[in-house]
Amino acid sequence: MAQIEYPTPLLQLIAQLKRLPGIGARSAERIGVWLLQRGPEFMDPFAATVQQAGSEVAECSVCGFFRTKDLCLICEGSGREDSLLCVVEQPADILPLERSGGYKGHYHTLRGRISPLDNVGPEDLRIGELSKRVREGIFSEVILALSADVEGEATANYLTEILRDAGGASLRVTRLARGIPVGGGLESADELTLCRALEGRSLMQ
Amino acid sequence: MLTSLRLSHFRCFESLRLPLEPGMTLFFGDNAQGKTSILEAACVLLRLQSPRTSSLSELVHFGAPGFAVAGDLGDTELRHHYGPRIRKLLVDGEAQASSGPYLRQSGLVVWMASDDLALVRSSAEGRRRYLDFMAAQLHPGYGTALRAYDRALRSRNVLLKRDAVPRWNEIDAYTRLLAEHGKMLTTLRRSLVERLRPHTAEAQRHISGREDEGLDLAYEAASGPGDDLAATLLARREEEVRRRQTVAGPHRDDLILLVQERPAAKFASEGQQRTVALALKLAQSRLFLTEKERAPVLLIDDVFGELDPGRRNALMAAWPKESQKLITTTHLGWLDAACGSPRRLVVSGGRVA
Repeated sequence: MAQIEYPTPLLQLIAQLKRLPGIGARSAERIGVWLLQRGPEFMDPFAATVQQAGSEVAECSVCGFFRTKDLCLICEGSGREDSLLCVVEQPADILPLERSGGYKGHYHTLRGRISPLDNVGPEDLRIGELSKRVREGIFSEVILALSADVEGEATANYLTEILRDAGGASLRVTRLARGIPVGGGLESADELTLCRALEGRSLMQ
Repeated sequence: MLTSLRLSHFRCFESLRLPLEPGMTLFFGDNAQGKTSILEAACVLLRLQSPRTSSLSELVHFGAPGFAVAGDLGDTELRHHYGPRIRKLLVDGEAQASSGPYLRQSGLVVWMASDDLALVRSSAEGRRRYLDFMAAQLHPGYGTALRAYDRALRSRNVLLKRDAVPRWNEIDAYTRLLAEHGKMLTTLRRSLVERLRPHTAEAQRHISGREDEGLDLAYEAASGPGDDLAATLLARREEEVRRRQTVAGPHRDDLILLVQERPAAKFASEGQQRTVALALKLAQSRLFLTEKERAPVLLIDDVFGELDPGRRNALMAAWPKESQKLITTTHLGWLDAACGSPRRLVVSGGRVA
């Protein structure tokens, strides 16, 4: 007797779900079965939403964040400080900076970071676009807001040289401060964090 | 001290619950029965690393997806779950975000093994590992700096090998990181060796029983003048192009061992070398006791069966009395009145009785 399997369309759905990040074979099966049980009144609008997002949202060719056909909320929005540019690794890094309320300038998304161990080089990132924007001479400061691990820091070092070339002596290149977290005590900080916090100390006003 | 140790799918143990007592405990049995794995599990629980392998995936019981080790260290319950996708660290049931806070609440470990003689005789790598294991327990940020240095070094070496003409702008993005983390490693190791020196000298005199048998240590840094690694690598660029690897830095440093002012690997007798290996570990436990005011757990693998009574008694007289000692041995012939009456557990085929 042939072994019973799910019907092919369901298997295909499960296979698609398995391609999503963080979803394994078990979860894909569970979600696929759950979707079918909810029926067309759930599935149809769900599918339409996925399709709509795919056709209406695109990458902004300037900053690399998401935009709709008519507007990039950052590049074409109003009330931004036009002399400031903040470089981040991923589009998702922009929202925390926006929510902090501490930054009102423009953004540039690299879409990754340099990592020889993962075979990612500068040519795989939006670095050419970055130097082009800086060369236009509008920005007076570029803030590197990359992650504080080895790859993030190496990418920041690499970009610093590129930006000096592109922006000349008048361009300020800065990075986010690294050190003691707000609300944290000294006794729980390790040596590296303390060293960096000392290097990045600031004048009491 | 550890009052209990629990293993699940760890090496040859499918499951083991082991209540532990203070003082000496002997794990006795034939080879390949799991004695060393018990000590290793204690080390993996307390320090999150194994002295026998750099890859924790090797510790997983055959056919199982992952392992777990847990235990009670005084009033603190530690748990370490390891799997292909997850790693969970818990202190008193509370998940820890990273190894840093976990290790701060864990205990100190000194690992002694029959192959410690290689510390004296073999390459610098083992001596660096000896310093690294100690420094990571004394300085919370050391392990982080070491991992970052290692990752930057591997990245830099990939870049040096990859292109026919090295792309220095990319390589130097890593040189700066290497210099920054390397400086921290060199500084902390150098200071550690200075603090360790009086303890090793004392331990060597004590174990050898000879007042004139001095053991001295010197830290030999390979980062160039003033420990300025960035400048050194810049000056040796041609050599790096030729050899396609990073030619200077803490990964090439050495700990020099001098017995009566001469290099121990070449000039010391075999007996003196054995004493040096013991003295290094004994000094480590004395330094922990002095600086952390806490007694380390001593994990002693297969050492006692090979020691002559003189060295054994000297070791037992000088190790921290407060320390818990977990000891493996294949025979008990050496056990004499000087040892008192330690607890004995028989390990056989992955079971303890």
